Amino acid sequence: MAKQILLLLKLCILFYVVHAVFEDQVGKFDWRQQYVGKVRFSHFDTQMQSSKKVLVATESNVFAALNTRTGELFWRHVDKTGPEGNIDALLHHAQDAVLVVGNGRMLRSWDVNIGGLNWEILLDSGSFRSACLVGQQGTVKHVAVLKKTVISVHYLSNGHQKWIENLPESEIVDYQTVYSGGNGQVFVLGIVPHSHITIVVYSMEDGEIIKQVSVEAPWLSNIPASCVVVDQGMLMCIDSTTMSINTLDLHQQLQMTQIPLQSLGLEVDPDFHPSLVSHQPNPAQKPLSEFFLQLGPERFLLLQLNNGQIVTLRDFKPALLASFATTGEKTVAAVMSPKNKTACSINLFSADTGRRLLDTTLIFTVDPNGGKPERLHVQAFLKKDDSVGYRVMVQTEDHALTFIQQPGRVMWTREEALSDVVTMEMVDLPLTGTQAELEGEFGKKADGLMSMVLKRLSSQLIMLQAWIAHLWKLFYDARKPRNQVKNDISIENLSRDEFNLQKMMVMVTSSGKLFGIDSKTGGILWKRYLDNVPSNAAFKLMVQRTTAHFPHPPQCTLLIKDKDTGLATLHVFNPIFGRRSQVTPPALPQPILQSLMLPLMDQDYAKVLLLVDDQYKVSAFPSTKNVLQQLQETASSIFFFLVDSSQGRLSGYRLRTDLSTEQVWEVVIPTEVQKIVSVKGKRPNEHVHSQGRVMGDRSVLYKYLNPNLLAVVTESTDVHQERSFIGILLIDGVTGRIIHEAVQRKARGPVHVVHSENWVVYEYWSTKSRRNEFSVIELYEGMELYNSTVFSSLDRPHAPQVLQQSYIFPSSISTMEATLTEKGITSRHLLIGLPSGGIMSLPKMFLDPRRPEIISEQSREENLIPYAPELIIRTEWFINYNQTVSRVRGIYTAPSGLESTCLVVAYGLDIYQTRVYPSKQFDVLKDDYDYMLISSVLFALFFATMISKRLAEVKLLNRAWR
Amino acid sequence: TDGSFAVNDIPSGSYVVEVVTPTYRFEPVRVDITSKGKMRARLVNHIKTSEVIRQPYPLQIRASGPHSYFMKRETWGWTDFLMNPMVMMMVLPLLIIVLLPKVVNTNDPEMRKEMEQSMNMLNPNPELPDVSELMTKLFSGSKASSKAGSSSKGSRPAAKRR
Repeated sequence: MAKQILLLLKLCILFYVVHAVFEDQVGKFDWRQQYVGKVRFSHFDTQMQSSKKVLVATESNVFAALNTRTGELFWRHVDKTGPEGNIDALLHHAQDAVLVVGNGRMLRSWDVNIGGLNWEILLDSGSFRSACLVGQQGTVKHVAVLKKTVISVHYLSNGHQKWIENLPESEIVDYQTVYSGGNGQVFVLGIVPHSHITIVVYSMEDGEIIKQVSVEAPWLSNIPASCVVVDQGMLMCIDSTTMSINTLDLHQQLQMTQIPLQSLGLEVDPDFHPSLVSHQPNPAQKPLSEFFLQLGPERFLLLQLNNGQIVTLRDFKPALLASFATTGEKTVAAVMSPKNKTACSINLFSADTGRRLLDTTLIFTVDPNGGKPERLHVQAFLKKDDSVGYRVMVQTEDHALTFIQQPGRVMWTREEALSDVVTMEMVDLPLTGTQAELEGEFGKKADGLMSMVLKRLSSQLIMLQAWIAHLWKLFYDARKPRNQVKNDISIENLSRDEFNLQKMMVMVTSSGKLFGIDSKTGGILWKRYLDNVPSNAAFKLMVQRTTAHFPHPPQCTLLIKDKDTGLATLHVFNPIFGRRSQVTPPALPQPILQSLMLPLMDQDYAKVLLLVDDQYKVSAFPSTKNVLQQLQETASSIFFFLVDSSQGRLSGYRLRTDLSTEQVWEVVIPTEVQKIVSVKGKRPNEHVHSQGRVMGDRSVLYKYLNPNLLAVVTESTDVHQERSFIGILLIDGVTGRIIHEAVQRKARGPVHVVHSENWVVYEYWSTKSRRNEFSVIELYEGMELYNSTVFSSLDRPHAPQVLQQSYIFPSSISTMEATLTEKGITSRHLLIGLPSGGIMSLPKMFLDPRRPEIISEQSREENLIPYAPELIIRTEWFINYNQTVSRVRGIYTAPSGLESTCLVVAYGLDIYQTRVYPSKQFDVLKDDYDYMLISSVLFALFFATMISKRLAEVKLLNRAWR
Repeated sequence: TDGSFAVNDIPSGSYVVEVVTPTYRFEPVRVDITSKGKMRARLVNHIKTSEVIRQPYPLQIRASGPHSYFMKRETWGWTDFLMNPMVMMMVLPLLIIVLLPKVVNTNDPEMRKEMEQSMNMLNPNPELPDVSELMTKLFSGSKASSKAGSSSKGSRPAAKRR
C-alpha cells in the first residue's frame, strides 16, 4: 500500500515537472499571424457608409471578413481542404453572404456582421456551373443555382427550395450561366459546341419554362469567358477569331448581330483574347449599359450600348486593370495605368460619360520585390459634398493584398503568400558593428604592440559609448507609456541578442515569394518575389554559410525544382537582407535527382553543396579548385542515397575521386505490394549529449547512435482495411544494411515520422481498432560500446537491440517534430500539431519503450512511468494555449543560445512562433524571479546583524561594568 | 437559436463527433451510420473499441468546463509561509510547550490526578501491539533507503521493550 502511495507521489511530481505556459507569459515571446490565402472572390460590404468590411473567399477554402482600416480579420471560417471545401461562388447582398461550396454540394448563408452561419442546405449532386442572386420588384429574395442538369431557386432568408427544374436536353446542351435582370425571369444560357446557344427562360414564380430558343453561334465555346449581359438583357459576346462583338437581345432572341471591331475603329493586339467586363450594381435591377472591353494587355475601352449601337466612351491606353464600383446611385469606373517603372496611377471615371472625375488620382507604388498587380477591387463611397471618394485593394501576382487610400497612402498590406509556407530555416542574426569590430581585432594579424593597444582602447571606447546609448534609450523608453514604445526593428539595427533568441526566419512560400521575418516580433524585414518559379515547384532551402564567418556575408541557397521535368535552378541570396548574392550559381542543364550539403567548407567558409543529376554525375557548388581538391581527398567517405518511389528502389552511391559515382547498394521494395511514402534521416545539426542511459542497477545501456540511419516508411498498396499495413525499415545509408524491420498490420497512413538520436516515433491509423496509434522504436548497443570514439557504419559487427512499444492517441495529428537544443542535454519533447489547432508538447518520456507494465524497484529508480495504453491530451501541454493555429502543415524547431530553450515555428494557414523549455529554464533565472524578496531579506539580515552586534556590544560593556 | 447544429453530407461509416473550441472542453462521441442510414451514438472508448455505451441521439453535448491552459505561478506570501505544514508542526508544539505550563497549574493535586487519568484513557489496553512495532514488521522486508529512515525511528522503542 505504502509503495503504491509513494509511486503515486512520484507520478504527481513527474506530472508537475512537465512544463506549461504561465498566464502572464502570454504574448511575451510568442506571436501568431493569421492568413486567408490567395483571394478568389471579394466583396466590399456597402450596406452602410461607415462599414469597414471586405469579404474575401480564397483558394485555400477560407471565407473571411477583413477590416479595411487595419487589414486584420474580423472573423474567418476555415473549411475542409481539397475540392470538398472549394468555394465555387460568393454572392453578397446586404447582410447575407451566400457561398456555394464543394462543386455545388452545399449552399451556405453567412451573416456578414458577426460571421455566423444563417443556414446551410445540401444541394443535389451534379457539377456546379453558376449561381446568381435573383431580384424582383427592387428586392432580392432568391438565389438561383445552376448545375449541369438542374436549376434550383432558394429563398435567401432560410435556404428553402422554392422550385427545382430539370434542364431540357441537358445531355447535349452544356448549360453554363444563369442570369436575372430583376424582372421576374431567370435566363439560363447553354451552348452546344460548334452549333448554337440555347436560352431557356424560367418564370420566377413557379419555375415554368416561358421560352426556349436556340440561336446560331458555332464559334462560341465558353459563355462565362467571352460573354456578358449589359443593359436590358443584351448578351454581348466577343469572338476572338473574327474580332467582332456579337449582340443578342435575350428578350427577343432573333439572331446574333455581328459588329466587327474594325467598324468601331479598333484594333486588337495579335495573340490576345479580348474580354468583356460588365457590372450589375443591384441584382434586382438591370445591368449597366456601359462595359469594358480589354483589347490588349495594356489597353481597355469603356463602351456604351446605346439603342443597339456601341459607342466608345473612352479609350484607356496604357491601362493595366479596370474595374467598376457603385455607391448609392453612382457608378464609377476605376482604371489603373502605369506611370513609371515603380508606380501606377489609378483614376476614377464617370461610368455613364467616361469623364475623368477631378481629384481622384491615386498613386500605387509597385514593390520592386513583389509581383505585378493582378486585380483591382474598388470601394467607392459618397463624400459629404456628394462627390465620389474611393479606396482600392490591389491584388498582386505574389498573392499580396494592398489597401490604398487617396492620394496613395498604403493603409495595410497582407502578405497572403505566407498562408502557404513550404519550407523555412532560421538563421542567426549578425553581430552588431561594435561586436564585429571586436571580433575583427582577433582575426587580423598583429602589427606591433602599440597599435594593438590603441586598437583595443578604441574598441573599448566604442563599446562604452554603445552601452551608454543603450542605457539612455532604456531610460527614455521607460518614461514613455508602454504602448507607445514601438519595436522599430529594421534591417539596419538588427543584431544578435545575448542568448541568440532572436533569429531571422527565412520562409519560402509556394508562390515563389521569399520572406525574411524577425522571429521576435514577426515583422517582415525583407521580401523577394521570384517570378520565374513554376507552379508545381519543389523547394529545398539550405544555409551554406552562417553569420559566424564575418566579414563573409551569410549565404543561403534555394533549390527550385520543377516536379515534372526535374529541371532545377538555384537562387543564392543573403538571408539577412534578402539580396541576391554576388556568387553566380551554376546553370543546371540536367534534371537533378538529389542534393546534399557536405560539412566541407571552401576557403570562404561556404559549405559545399553537391548536386546529383540524372546521369549520376555530381557537380559541386561552389566549385573552386580548393573545393575540388578537398572533394578528391574525402571522396571515399562521401556516400549518398537516392529514392525512386515509383519503382520502389532505394539505392546507395559512393563518390569517386573524378566526381562520378558508383552504386554501392540497392534495396528494392516491390511496388505491387507496398510503396515508399517517406524516407527520413537525422537532422545534421542535432547533438546527443549522453551516450547511454543509466539503469536502475547503475549499469549503462548504450544508445545506438548511427548518424547514417534512415527510416523508410512504406504503405501497402492494398487499401482493404483487413489487409492494409504499414512498414518501417531502418536502413544504414552507407552500407545498405537493414538494421530493423517492423510491420504494423491492419494499419493505414498517413504516417508521421520523427527520427532523432536513437529513436524513431511514428503515428498511423489502426484500421482494426479505428484509432490513431503511436509507436516508438529505440535502438541500443547493449551494455558495452563497440567503439566509443567514432561511429563507422562499415565496422559495426553487432546488430543493435531493438525495443518497441505502442500507444493509443485520442486524436489524429497533422504534423510532428521533435525539439532541438544547442547541446542536447535538455530532455526531448515531441511537438504535435493537432487538427483542432493546438500544438501539443508531449514529453518523449511518455514514448519510451522501456516503460514497464509491472513496476519494479529498478524502473522506479530510473524514473520510468508505468505503461498505460492511452496517451492523454492535456491542454496544459498546448504551447499555443488558446491561440489556435489552423491547418498546421509543418513545425520547425531551432536551437537557441540557451541550452534550455528551443525556438518553435508552426506554419500552415497561420504562423505561430514561440519558445519551449522542455526541462524548464534551468540555465537562466525565471522571469518571475523575486528580486524584491531576495534583496529585502538580504537587507533585513544585514541590518539585523548590525543591530544585534551593537546590542551585544552594549551588553558586554554593561557586564564589564558590573 | 437553441444552439443546435446539423452536419450535412456525411456518407455511412463510423465517425467521432468532437466539438472544438479554444474555451470549453467537450467529450467526443462516436456516431455509427449504417449503409441504410440508421444512426447510433456511443461513448468513445479507445481501449475497448467494440464496447457500446449508448448515448442519446440526436446528440446532446454539454461542456464539461473550460480548458485550463496555464500553470499557476508559485506566489510567495506570509500566509503561505505560516500555513506550511512544516512550520505549523514546528510552531504549534513550541506554543504548547511554552504556553501550557503557564495556563495549567501543575502544582494543583486535583489537576495532576485528572491528567494521569486522561493519560490512561489514551492507552487503554497495554497488551495491544504498539503502532511502531506494527510498522517495523511491515517494512522489515523492504530495504528501500527512503523508508529506512522513517521505520528506524519507530523501531527503537520497540526494541527497548523486548
